Amino acid sequence: MNKELEHQFVSNLEKHQNIVHKICRIYTNDQASHNDLFQEVTIQLWKAYPKFRGDSKFSTWMYRVALNTAITLYRKKKRGIQTQDYDTVHFRIQAEEYDNESEKQLKLLYDAVKELNDIEKALVFLYLEDKNYRDISETLGISEVNARVKMNRVKTKLKNILNP
Amino acid sequence: MDELDLLKKDWKKQEGKYPRLSYDQIYKMLWKKSSSIVKWIFVISIIEFLLWAVLNVFLMNEEYWAELERIQLTGFTIAVYIIGYTITFYFIYQFYKNYKKISATDDSVTLMQNILKTRRTVKFYIAYVIISTFFTSLVSIYFTFDYHINNAEAIDQTKDYSFNAMQWLIFLGVTTLVVFAILGLLWLFYKLLYGILLKRLHNNYKELKQLDI
Repeated sequence: MNKELEHQFVSNLEKHQNIVHKICRIYTNDQASHNDLFQEVTIQLWKAYPKFRGDSKFSTWMYRVALNTAITLYRKKKRGIQTQDYDTVHFRIQAEEYDNESEKQLKLLYDAVKELNDIEKALVFLYLEDKNYRDISETLGISEVNARVKMNRVKTKLKNILNP
Repeated sequence: MDELDLLKKDWKKQEGKYPRLSYDQIYKMLWKKSSSIVKWIFVISIIEFLLWAVLNVFLMNEEYWAELERIQLTGFTIAVYIIGYTITFYFIYQFYKNYKKISATDDSVTLMQNILKTRRTVKFYIAYVIISTFFTSLVSIYFTFDYHINNAEAIDQTKDYSFNAMQWLIFLGVTTLVVFAILGLLWLFYKLLYGILLKRLHNNYKELKQLDI
């Protein structure tokens, strides 16, 4: 029974692992931290798995646990040496896909997101993942009005960071 | 097009560019140790509960009981201990109940509230220990003096145990200083420990609840 549960869980996570990678991308700056956070999210998901009822989609349930891990449960490890910014290593956009100008702007945008606080990052992440305000408010536990106001503030903040 | 929509377009394009971990790599992660703050909070809280319990055992040695019997305070002390342990068990029960409620499947605000509530139980427990220790010490000091003054065999001896106004003032002053120094140290320790452990959680909680009615 336990083996079956493990298999079920790992297969599900393997299939939907992109969600965790994307959260790691928003919340960490280098590959080592990315791996650390990915591991902690996996542990938390596995610990919470017996409570997963299956009445919600595995991926929807993952968003909640993974975000909670990133903003509340995860304790960042202190690192002596900052490894190379992995945006430039793993997620480099192929040159032919963008003209220089928009590539530059995108790089600035990703950098701007890094400057946001944990909660603002969560809002941006859920927005990028096409979640509506109802989903956002339910995931974070705040009212829909609050979610909307906060999102507008994030947009303004991003504008200000980009055009100081 | 606003900035976020521009980002969203690119975000979707990169969907296929994330690293892919294999089944085995993920499977191995299930058995790694968690470093979540909840685990830290649990361990630290248990240490706190144990520390006070151990301290109590050390303070309750035979000499202590002999002295109590001599000054006829055994009844009082036993009563204090029974009440004390009942309250301690109540706190441990509350702590365990709150701890069990912490679940990563809750929404973020509920999760943060449950963690803070668990922590608060331990904080209240420590406050209770400090306050009750302070008052029981006062009572025993009072009875000790009272006993020695009443039972001194000679007038000369009475002098040894009775303070004049100045001596009382110095005694009270020194006691107060020592109590405040200990409280100050404890406060500093707590500030540091939980400053490090819970600062991010506090900030994020405030940030989330801001604007919420």
